[in-house]
Amino acid sequence: MRSRSIIHLNVADFAVAVERQADCRLRNRPVIVAPEAAARAEVYDMSEEAYQDGVRKGMPLKKALRFCSGARILPPHPDRYEQAMMECFKRVLPYSPLAEMTDQKGHIFVDVTGSGRLFGPPPDIAWRIRRAFRSEMGLDPIWSVASNKLVAKVATRLVKPSGEYIVREGEEAHFLQPLPLYLVPGILPEERKQFGEFNLSFVGQAAGLTLEQLDLIFGRRGQTLFNLVRGVDLSPVQSFSLKKKGICFEHLFGTDTGQVAVVEGVLYCLAEKIGSFLRKQRLSAKNLGLILDFSDGKRIARQAAARPPVHDDLSLFSVAKLALKRAWTRRVRIRHISLSCNHFESRSSQLELFAGSRAEKEKKEQLMSALDQVRQRFGSGSLRTGRTFSLDAA
Amino acid sequence: MIEETPKQKGLPASCRIHVGTSGYAYAEWTDAGFYPAGTKSGQMLPLYAKQFSITELNYTWYRMPVPETIERQRQQAGSGFLFTAKLIRTLTHEIDPMKWQKEALRYREGMSPLLQSKQLLAVLIQLPPSFARTQGNRTHLSVLLDSLEGLPLAVEFRHRSWAVDRVFDELERRRVCLVSVDEPDLPGLFPALDVVTCPDLFYVRFHGRNDRGWRSGNMQKQFDYFYSDDQLREWIEKRIIPMSSRAGKGVIFFNNHVRGQAAGNALQLRRLLSKEGLEVG
Repeated sequence: MRSRSIIHLNVADFAVAVERQADCRLRNRPVIVAPEAAARAEVYDMSEEAYQDGVRKGMPLKKALRFCSGARILPPHPDRYEQAMMECFKRVLPYSPLAEMTDQKGHIFVDVTGSGRLFGPPPDIAWRIRRAFRSEMGLDPIWSVASNKLVAKVATRLVKPSGEYIVREGEEAHFLQPLPLYLVPGILPEERKQFGEFNLSFVGQAAGLTLEQLDLIFGRRGQTLFNLVRGVDLSPVQSFSLKKKGICFEHLFGTDTGQVAVVEGVLYCLAEKIGSFLRKQRLSAKNLGLILDFSDGKRIARQAAARPPVHDDLSLFSVAKLALKRAWTRRVRIRHISLSCNHFESRSSQLELFAGSRAEKEKKEQLMSALDQVRQRFGSGSLRTGRTFSLDAA
Repeated sequence: MIEETPKQKGLPASCRIHVGTSGYAYAEWTDAGFYPAGTKSGQMLPLYAKQFSITELNYTWYRMPVPETIERQRQQAGSGFLFTAKLIRTLTHEIDPMKWQKEALRYREGMSPLLQSKQLLAVLIQLPPSFARTQGNRTHLSVLLDSLEGLPLAVEFRHRSWAVDRVFDELERRRVCLVSVDEPDLPGLFPALDVVTCPDLFYVRFHGRNDRGWRSGNMQKQFDYFYSDDQLREWIEKRIIPMSSRAGKGVIFFNNHVRGQAAGNALQLRRLLSKEGLEVG
């Protein structure tokens, strides 16, 4: 197999970095991104200053403020982060079509194995990308170059919050050897705990175990762990396709809720966002998936099919409501809800056979078209349905 | 016709010239045939060391050297192999006034395995084209040289404003080597000189003469060039022979790495230097 060159770019504390671009007064002071005025808000992201004071992601905001009382609290702006990620991505794509965004948190992998002849050695490409991020976006990513995604990611974790690292091919195991196990992605917390029971806390110690020994301790996970501690990772960088595979919109309740009106109001907003996307792309949804995260940490995912495929908000909401009915089976408050659509089809231009249903369909189309036009011109909040007013009260 | 020996040409017999390339771990050199097919980047240095006695580490410009990595490379190459290394960019190109002095300490620590084994011939301070001879830059360079004192140093200027005798005198006083460069004849660039400011070492870098690609911002265009025999002979006669008469050792690197041309030119130059009766390492 031809040796690979993978660049990993990581903008540390991405949400904070983006917020600091929007407001320079936030620089050089502790910042915590978390839903404001929420009873059980959790830290979404924090600046290095807040991290140094002991604040961690997922920590209850109240607790975080005890560690870092002077921090400025900002509400999360997922749209802003997504837009910033796309801007980052645009600056990477000229160097390789094999670029992968794993999340909206500032991580990008780029496979530049085949780009050397055009753009030069991988460290130089990484440095140029970083320079573009810095000069054009004001973001300063950590970068690393390695032969696979696993080692590249560990390398950026090692130098966080700023810096760079190059791991030459063949040096992966040597590089990982002195590092603590928690730096290796893919090793689960309970597995680390099991390693700890054998007094193994460093990668080099775990790499001393044979495959048989790992199988004995971890069962089917043995082979995976055997590879992880040796820096072996054959997973490819997923090429970016402009054609989206799926869309997902989500909402985190500032205060966990069990109120039907509030949950349905949020669900309607999410259905509207999906509808707006579908109509722009001239697509129809064949199904909707819904995930509910409850206060006690439990998660339930359900889906509902749309037959025939739909793209107007009202029909999408009906399908989403069916999925909600299937998922909301517990008497526990909901913390987070996400609505996704993974199966599309192009909108049919075939007319309805019967005049009655044709008129009704046309009426819906006109309504949606008018709504979209108004919202496009005056903003998404310019026209709202009565159902979503319950959110203001909540 | 009987050829003249170095002694007859007035050259000191002790000036040994080492020829190599700027960097050695280029994947495209495998395609170019310099390394056997399937060679991994971690296996390149021992293969390179079979052909050349010296290399210029250029990854140390991108990343702070770590003693363990440097030691591993040293062991891979063998005890007779020599190195020069570029200074990290945070001391030359992206200077943070608050941090750079700590970075200088870290750099020195990173290079310690090569220093201790006496395999480090020079640390190359490559300054950017924008680094003109202003008061601020003169001060920075002076403080930088002070902070790196004890390391064998070589300075490469890209801006023409530094090509003045006062600069050369100061480098001579500090026993810092001035790097002679061959690059395209474009306005503002530092000229090709045969000035020797350190009696221990002369240092030459061949960047190629790709006029069109030089300011393209793309290394593959900037360093895409192959020197002819005549161009290299001219350099030997006009500059390398005079410089070797004034220094105890010489290092010459080719930076035109695209498609393995640097390795080809380095081998070619070694052959031509040997023909001239110069001692080639």
